[in-house]
Amino acid sequence: MDDQEVVGRVGLVTASIAPGRLGEVKVAIRGGSEAFHAYAMDPKEAIARGTRVFIVEYFPPRTIVVSLA
Amino acid sequence: MGDPLLTSVAVVVGVVVVALVAIFLLWRMTWRVAEPNEALVISGLHQGAPNGVGESLGFKIVTGKGTMVLPGVQMVRRLSLDLRETDLQVDCVSQQGIPLKIRAVVIYKVGDDYASIANAARRFLDQQNQMDQRVHNVFAGHLRAIVGAMTVEEMIRDREKLTQLTREHAGTEMEKLGLIIDSLQVQEIDDPTGYIKNMARPHAVAIEREARIAQAGADREATQKEQEAEALKAQARRDSQIKQAGFQAEIDQATALARQAGPLSEATNRQKVVVEETKVAELEAQRAEQRLYVEVRKPADAKAYQEVTLARAERDATIAAAEARAREVELGAAAEAGKTKTIAAADAERVRLEATANSEQTRMVGLAEADATRAKGMAEGDAVRARGMAEAEAIKARADALAENQDAVIGQQLAERWPEIVEAAAKPFGGIDQLIVLNGAKGLSETLAQALSQGATGLDLARQLLSGKNGKRSNAGAHADTEPVAAADTQSSDR
Repeated sequence: MDDQEVVGRVGLVTASIAPGRLGEVKVAIRGGSEAFHAYAMDPKEAIARGTRVFIVEYFPPRTIVVSLA
Repeated sequence: MGDPLLTSVAVVVGVVVVALVAIFLLWRMTWRVAEPNEALVISGLHQGAPNGVGESLGFKIVTGKGTMVLPGVQMVRRLSLDLRETDLQVDCVSQQGIPLKIRAVVIYKVGDDYASIANAARRFLDQQNQMDQRVHNVFAGHLRAIVGAMTVEEMIRDREKLTQLTREHAGTEMEKLGLIIDSLQVQEIDDPTGYIKNMARPHAVAIEREARIAQAGADREATQKEQEAEALKAQARRDSQIKQAGFQAEIDQATALARQAGPLSEATNRQKVVVEETKVAELEAQRAEQRLYVEVRKPADAKAYQEVTLARAERDATIAAAEARAREVELGAAAEAGKTKTIAAADAERVRLEATANSEQTRMVGLAEADATRAKGMAEGDAVRARGMAEAEAIKARADALAENQDAVIGQQLAERWPEIVEAAAKPFGGIDQLIVLNGAKGLSETLAQALSQGATGLDLARQLLSGKNGKRSNAGAHADTEPVAAADTQSSDR
């Protein structure tokens, strides 16, 4: 996997994603870890903090879409 | 001098070394290394993008490694990826409408991915110094919106919500600038209305209350224990003193006893001496009495007896002499009395006889006078009674006559007073200076006759009054025609 690539990685939710709201997911990338703004793939889904999520889509520069891993 | 070969070798080596140094210096001049906290933005001649190098809008971004930059052909700039911070000081209003002065600090950096670096490079590459100012301006508005969506309590306690709101309000916009917000810290909330202080006060007061209660309780317990200890100490002191006093009393008692033992034995001895002395004195007194009895009493008795006997004999002699003298006087007196009594009796008889004779004479005179007076009184009484009876008869006869012939009597009385009546009737005319009679002489005589007839009608009226008084209804017709002038008659008869 490319070091720059975000999609396909597994992240940890650091700020809960309420339905339709913006949360935060920490992802290990580029030899460090970065936090991305995250939406849930299902807009009605609520993802609690500390949940492992799978990154489905990446909208540069800092937004990703995640689903429950 | 030295070997020419050696000389040429040395020259070659020197040239090579110089060349190597020159090459190294040249390379050193064209090679640029990106430090971990920066990105190199290279524009100009294009080369193939090696691994770890991103391209955007014709410029090349290098992070974390070195790259060759051809002077004059390519331009290289450095973009710092360091953490930056901006202080914010904003007047805003909380969700409840409470005015607040918020002092916050926002910590941000240029994003680590190529997209963020490209965005930031295009915006800030020449103005990295002004980045703080730009962010400040953008973020002030966002902070106002964030605070407006929160209550004061949430702002203090709910970090989660603060970051959530920060992300939603500011995060996406900062993305456009290629920046990411690492943290927003509210450092100070100044509320001029005192909201926070008031929020804290109930708790502070409650804590203070409990502290004071605890302190008071502890103080009370400590005092209680202290006082108990004091009481115990006092008790111990008292017991000790009581015991000491008891011992002292025993000591004193023993001392006193010891002190009194001497005088006591002395007194006892003295008492015995006194008893013996008393006995001696008694015996001496008895002896003295005996001696007096013999020496004084007996001779005195003998002398008294002698004197008594002598006095008695003398008294008897005196009594006998007195009795004889009394007898003599008595006899003399009796003889004198008999003589006087005889004379007195003779006088008394004479006086009595004289008195009797006087009284008899006086009584005879009185009787004769009484008879004379009685005879005179009786004669006078008879005369008075006879006169009274005669007067009574006369009154009765007059009363009868009056009853039988009233009119005659009244007539007589009126006749007696006739002149007065007529004068009274004529009195109105007396007050008149000039009498004008319209009817001539006849009118005058009529007037006089009328005045006189008033007297006659007065007679009728008197009779009528008398008959009314006596209950006799008589002469009803007689005064029927005189009725109209009755009032005038009464008036005139009254005069």
